[in-house]
Amino acid sequence: MRSWLPVLRDRRRYIAFEVEAEGRVGRGEVVGEIRAAQASLFGDDGAAKNRLRVVSFDGRFGLVRCSHTRTEEVRALLATVQSIGGTRAAIRVRGISGTIKAGTEKYIPQSILQPDENKRRVDLGPVSGSVARVIGREIDLCPDDRKMTEGSGTRYVGLTSFDLCGEDIDADGTSDGL
Amino acid sequence: MNFYECNLHSIPDGSDSASRLALAAKRLGYSGIIITNHATTGWPFGVDGAKLVGGIEVSFGVEIVAKDQRALHDKAASLRDGSDFIAVHGGDDKINRAACEDPNVDLLAHPHEGRSGIGVAAAKAARENQVAIALDLGPLIRLRGGSRVRWMEVVRRDLNLIEKFDLDLMISTGARSHLDLRSPRDLVALAALLGLERERAFEALALPKEILDLNRRRWASAGVEIL
Repeated sequence: MRSWLPVLRDRRRYIAFEVEAEGRVGRGEVVGEIRAAQASLFGDDGAAKNRLRVVSFDGRFGLVRCSHTRTEEVRALLATVQSIGGTRAAIRVRGISGTIKAGTEKYIPQSILQPDENKRRVDLGPVSGSVARVIGREIDLCPDDRKMTEGSGTRYVGLTSFDLCGEDIDADGTSDGL
Repeated sequence: MNFYECNLHSIPDGSDSASRLALAAKRLGYSGIIITNHATTGWPFGVDGAKLVGGIEVSFGVEIVAKDQRALHDKAASLRDGSDFIAVHGGDDKINRAACEDPNVDLLAHPHEGRSGIGVAAAKAARENQVAIALDLGPLIRLRGGSRVRWMEVVRRDLNLIEKFDLDLMISTGARSHLDLRSPRDLVALAALLGLERERAFEALALPKEILDLNRRRWASAGVEIL
């Protein structure tokens, strides 16, 4: 299918998703589970129309490709996944885009440190994120909103313990060492 | 629009506290949830904690479990004054019919559990008494193969009935854990598989809010409000 008329090229959509699970899930298990859900819900005929492929999956966020007319069907079949490899899980659709690049940039967090449940959370109204490290009174924060560090070229937002004092009980741990 | 998830179960019915469900629902884009634990299992755990979760309205209702019609009517009448929202644990033809005939009931939850449905007589009664019918999408998510096929057949037939009599419809998952919750758009996509139109599905997701607001006004008797 290499040389194909540009006007006849099939149009695609990329659906970014997040897996919420009780344990770790692997790429193979996710692919298997999505295929099984599709086979069960639409059968071979519907599956051929969906043209579904799992493009990437990093343990938490992933991207699937499908035909541009079948996004609602794919949304439905992702919603019917209730366990992955024996672990209770759910797949949340984060957004849909027309290219891999846009889908990745818009909907999949690209920081090295992903907002993780084991990290301390900071929520101060305009600034929110997970604490990456604490050095004395200085705190590096991995922001939820990537736009916060645009222009400075840094990965983290710099805060101090003074910013957090008395603001939120979630931020209590950050005052250790004071 | 204000999307509400209208039939959730928290501890001791489900495995999540009310605040955990609230946080998960908020992240999925709901503006409110109604926790309706079965009347037989007792009051939900952590009501105060749920009130601390900002950005989402957490309401508490009740889901009546009754053996026969008479017990259902008695329970609905006694719970009406103290509750914002009364659902009925459906799934049995007799109970489905009795719930539709009771004006105290707000919602007939999961009427399609088992192989029963609504039927014409109950649909007419539901129209008259303004009882909403829940489209519980839990089985569509949970079941596979033959049992899901049978469930879809029954639900498709009843959705036709709901359209014909223009009944109030709510969409829910009947979730017992945050992993059972699905976002409003996912539910709309799932409902589309059953032949429900997009606009109608969005209306159905916003209906619980209207019913809650109506129930919270003080009514002296049917149609008479205390201002």
